[in-house]
Amino acid sequence: MLKINQLISGYGSVQILNGANMRVEKQSIVALLGGNGTGKSTILRAASGLIRSWKGTIEFDGEQIQNLPAHEIVGRGLVQVTQGKDVFPAMSVTENLKLGGFILKSKQQLSDNLEKVYNYFPRLNERKDQLAATLSGGELQMLCIGRGLMSNPKMIMLDEPSAALAPQIVLDIFKNINRIRQDGLTVLVVEQNVRMALLLADYGYVIKDGVINVEGDSKKLMYDESVKESYLGGTKANV
Amino acid sequence: MEGLKPMFNKLRIGKKGENIIFGTFVLLYIGWCVNSPDMNIESLKSVLTIGLSVGIIYGLVALGISLIYTGLDVVNFSHGEFFMIGAFAGLTMFNLLGNQDWIFNIFPDAYGWIIYVVCLFTAFVSMGLFGVFIERVFLRPLTKKGGGYTVAGMGIIICGFGLSVVLINVAYLIWNPVAKPFPAELGLPMEIGGLFLPITYIWMIVVGLSVAAGLWFFLNKTKMGLGIRAVAYSKDVSNLVGINVPLYISIIFGIACAIAGIGGTLVGPTYQVVVFMGYIILMKAFAAAVVGGFGNLPGAIVGGFTVGIFETASSFYISGSHKDLYAFLLMIVVLMIKPTGFFGVQVKMKA
Repeated sequence: MLKINQLISGYGSVQILNGANMRVEKQSIVALLGGNGTGKSTILRAASGLIRSWKGTIEFDGEQIQNLPAHEIVGRGLVQVTQGKDVFPAMSVTENLKLGGFILKSKQQLSDNLEKVYNYFPRLNERKDQLAATLSGGELQMLCIGRGLMSNPKMIMLDEPSAALAPQIVLDIFKNINRIRQDGLTVLVVEQNVRMALLLADYGYVIKDGVINVEGDSKKLMYDESVKESYLGGTKANV
Repeated sequence: MEGLKPMFNKLRIGKKGENIIFGTFVLLYIGWCVNSPDMNIESLKSVLTIGLSVGIIYGLVALGISLIYTGLDVVNFSHGEFFMIGAFAGLTMFNLLGNQDWIFNIFPDAYGWIIYVVCLFTAFVSMGLFGVFIERVFLRPLTKKGGGYTVAGMGIIICGFGLSVVLINVAYLIWNPVAKPFPAELGLPMEIGGLFLPITYIWMIVVGLSVAAGLWFFLNKTKMGLGIRAVAYSKDVSNLVGINVPLYISIIFGIACAIAGIGGTLVGPTYQVVVFMGYIILMKAFAAAVVGGFGNLPGAIVGGFTVGIFETASSFYISGSHKDLYAFLLMIVVLMIKPTGFFGVQVKMKA
């Protein structure tokens, strides 16, 4: 579904990614793990067109999409869900969701998708006329994921869905991510919460200094010493 | 320096204190006006009408400034020139249609009105397109380095000053600096509450308010308006939901300029059309935007009315020889006492 090949990118003149390679198979959940500042979010931002790719290719659904305008990438069915706080706080929950379906042409489809999202997250249905600014952290995250689902994507990329949330809510959200996959979508999850992400995912990549360091089946990665090492920035604690 | 901090903390007056002090100022001002020998119900009526009609013009230009500020995070200092060129666009259309007998033959009764509405429409459309052109050709390249308008802000503000000078001089070349009359035939003066008012005043208020209401409807009830509000809040998230952000930035700029163009054509028949009319309007509209709360759209209209009425009342009851002073006096007082304006906007937190 998504193939990232020797991707080099960064912000301004600062190079963050030094040739990252990734593959996400159709209808799978893939976890992208790594510490702070290793380039996890940069891969997502390059894939969704928010920053330019300097070199390398990004292939989605058999077509190259690197350096397309961001709204065209959304139109092709690749949607990034940003971290929980990135909603429009002065708009109601319904308006936020409708914005997610901005590229949809027909009203019928919009209301169908709205129904679908409320089905995934009944909590949002209870709060649909409230301003997004009044939602709790978990509800904000649900709103963000729901907004991503509104445009009928083929694949969604989640940027740290568990950030700053209580474990119970994280579990709830991860269950929903699994449901989304079962309904036919492909999911790429960027996470700091290694254990939870690997429990959820089929396959995992660990990124370090802008290149993929370790990859493998998630069950295998869970017990891999080098994952811990990579995740802690390469310094082994001398205990 | 540390010792000074508690002292400054004590000086903080809070929202309630702000309102009390501001209210005191307002009462003092009203008292001053009431004490004036010219004060009577007749003069008050005309002051209010003239104040409202001038105010809606300030409000319309302030609306554009606020719209560009919320959408693009920059202050457009060439906005007064769009107002001026809009007036000339309307006037040119008026001169073109003025000699056409066939329009008169078709609509003998509403001849003047129909021509004027066509002029307003011309100013709206041509200034909208002109605004998009200016944004694409002169402002957009400044954002090439990345970061969009938020990062390129200072360059764009300086570019606005430059554009203002260039546009004034281009207008000077085309239309020469002589003040031109705009003799729209809108009908006889209307009697409202025992007061005979030129019909152009009524037109200004009615058309101005309809434009503001139309903008509100457009922003809140249409899909494109939803997109504009989203782009105004965050370019990144708008990109991620599939909004064509560069296109929407052009649309925001175009709408703001189109509204300024309507403002220009509205004042044409009452005052005259001059090449240099944009500058003072820009400054007063800026004062109106600050008074209403910078970046707040309803605040811009309310601020425009406030500045218009304050200015007219002061020049009528206090001293007519300092007419242009009062708007800025009001702005300074509001900035001192209520720095966020009437409808304070919360400062956007941006990463």
